[in-house]
Amino acid sequence: MSAVVDFPVKPEARPYLEAFGRDRRRGDPAWLRGYRRRSLARFAELGFPSRRSEAWRYIDLRQLEQRPMLPTARPTPVVTSALATQLAEIGLAEPSYRLVLVDGKFAPELSSLDQLPSTVRLGSIAAAIAERPDLVRSALEAQSPDRPFASLNAAFFAGGFVLDIAPGIALERPVEILHLAAGDAAGALYTRSLVVAGQDSRATVVESFAGSGDYWRNDVIELRLGAGSELTRVTFVAEGVDALHFGETLARLDEASRLSGFVLLAGGRTVRHDVTVRSEGAGSRCDLNGVFLLSGRQEANILTTVDHRAPGGETREVFKGVATGHAHGAFQGRITVRPGAQKVDAHQLSRNLVLSPRAAIDTKPELEIYADDVKCSHGAAIGDLDEAALFYLRARGISNNEARRMLIEAFAQEAVDLIEQAPLREHLRSRLTRRLATLEE
Amino acid sequence: MLEIHDLHARLTDGREILRGIDLSVNAGEVHAIMGPNGSGKSTLAAVLAGRDGYEVNQGTVTYLGRDLLAMPADERAREGLFLAFQYPVEIPGVNNMYFLRTAINAQRRHRGEPELDAGQFLRIVRAKLKLLDIGEDLLQRAVNVGFSGGEKKRNEVFQMAMLEPRLAILDETDSGLDIDALKMVARGVNQQRAPDRAIVMITHYQRLLEYVEPDRVHVLQGGRIVQSGDKSLAMELERRGYGPVEDAA
Repeated sequence: MSAVVDFPVKPEARPYLEAFGRDRRRGDPAWLRGYRRRSLARFAELGFPSRRSEAWRYIDLRQLEQRPMLPTARPTPVVTSALATQLAEIGLAEPSYRLVLVDGKFAPELSSLDQLPSTVRLGSIAAAIAERPDLVRSALEAQSPDRPFASLNAAFFAGGFVLDIAPGIALERPVEILHLAAGDAAGALYTRSLVVAGQDSRATVVESFAGSGDYWRNDVIELRLGAGSELTRVTFVAEGVDALHFGETLARLDEASRLSGFVLLAGGRTVRHDVTVRSEGAGSRCDLNGVFLLSGRQEANILTTVDHRAPGGETREVFKGVATGHAHGAFQGRITVRPGAQKVDAHQLSRNLVLSPRAAIDTKPELEIYADDVKCSHGAAIGDLDEAALFYLRARGISNNEARRMLIEAFAQEAVDLIEQAPLREHLRSRLTRRLATLEE
Repeated sequence: MLEIHDLHARLTDGREILRGIDLSVNAGEVHAIMGPNGSGKSTLAAVLAGRDGYEVNQGTVTYLGRDLLAMPADERAREGLFLAFQYPVEIPGVNNMYFLRTAINAQRRHRGEPELDAGQFLRIVRAKLKLLDIGEDLLQRAVNVGFSGGEKKRNEVFQMAMLEPRLAILDETDSGLDIDALKMVARGVNQQRAPDRAIVMITHYQRLLEYVEPDRVHVLQGGRIVQSGDKSLAMELERRGYGPVEDAA
């Protein structure tokens, strides 16, 4: 059937409108149905972002335009050996509260939530929509109307999780969210999630993404940090070789809260990791660090926007990029200090290694400062491995390949080492090492 | 062990630095190569170790019966050639212990020996540290990062002791050292003297030779060895400088 609509529609949005028309969504409450329709209309109006738009200039959307990746109605997933392998590759060795999503859907048989204290709620977004509609609704409505893929996500999301930590609670074990993809049919996976860190709470959330097959993952998450709370959020993207992964994070930081973000982009054909942090309360601190490791024809784009709307905020960013083969990486880091946000202290560093003549990395720091009493700085560098260091290692008998790997690892590990929790740091280090073993093959 | 015959080498910009070196080093011997700045001493070390940026346009180098110049730098090292760097390189993020273990295990694999695990490795490290009177803290740091000049040279000597080379080339390992560090370097070199091992010390000054007695002393000037003799040559050079040697040649 073809949808009858009374709003402007970009041609690339048509197949999505038709898919929406076919989708009955019987379980949705009326408010959500309305919200989805409005979001779809917004997407139809916006269409795909143009490559002329600054935020999308480094990602090639042509293949997505030529071949729409529509949401697939997938059956309840069966636990296969492929899924078990994905789990083993990305899962933490240390004890965790684990929630597994397969094709976006909550898989209780793979999850372990029974040890979770009663002061912490963790479950699927579907359950939260039924049980706590106001919470979900407020999160959905916080979304910016100018992001086409987030609007598309709002129209179609079926899975995702909600984590809600009561004020004053310190969770010792990490909360682990494993996003798997079963890879039966080509299609899109839309997940929508929310983390609420209550006042003075403390928690660590590790999100890992893996999959096989031909899929487009579109993941949107909001992080709400209450006053004085501390949230560590680690993202590990190890998607399948053909996968597209677009992840968008909106974090809102209340007074004296602290967000420590780390991302490792290691797998997927095209990966976009977009984080917006709004420092809304005075004296908040935000650490954003990360690494991308790219080879073959991979492309990855890390975008960070830290918006200091309140005084006394602190931001520290360290991003490392490595590209070889024909890969293309980009880092875009914007820090905005609004009028009145005095005493903000922000520093950003982007360092990159380009290891082959056909690989490329773009780095683009942007500081926008509208307050006069602030400390803001950035540094960016793109280069090759240090020849003198390489010779020194080889002069001790270490083969050229191994010497290169050691130097690349040392380079990337500098960002991983900023993770404060030792077991988590080791987990990411070992994933980094594993990725590097095949990077230059 | 090492036979250098009519070796000519130039920089990639065409400047010829080595202009016909002839040198023969036997197992068990310690040779000193002395010469003024710019005579080609460090170039000789770099060419023997296989550093990029030099072109050998004439001559041969045979090491343990093999064509040394045909081997890549890392293979030379695995075959037992060791270069102590004049300027050891700082490598941020690479732990000194990890680096050394990787190097030793690369060599062991090459020789068909089993790799050392962390425990075995540590036992050897401790024994060698004691022998050289070096603190263990040096090993917990990134390779040469933040090391003083003396610490960097100690680290070179320590690596030599760990790798137990067949042929060690020390490129001005004595330069810029105070007397204590110099004695430590000398002790390290003397401990390495062995019937199946040769050592070539490249130096500007005679000072190191007060502590390490060479079997042969060569004077390198203008890219050639212009004079060779026993240890008394070094003392003679100390007395009258390099100038008259050139005249004598």
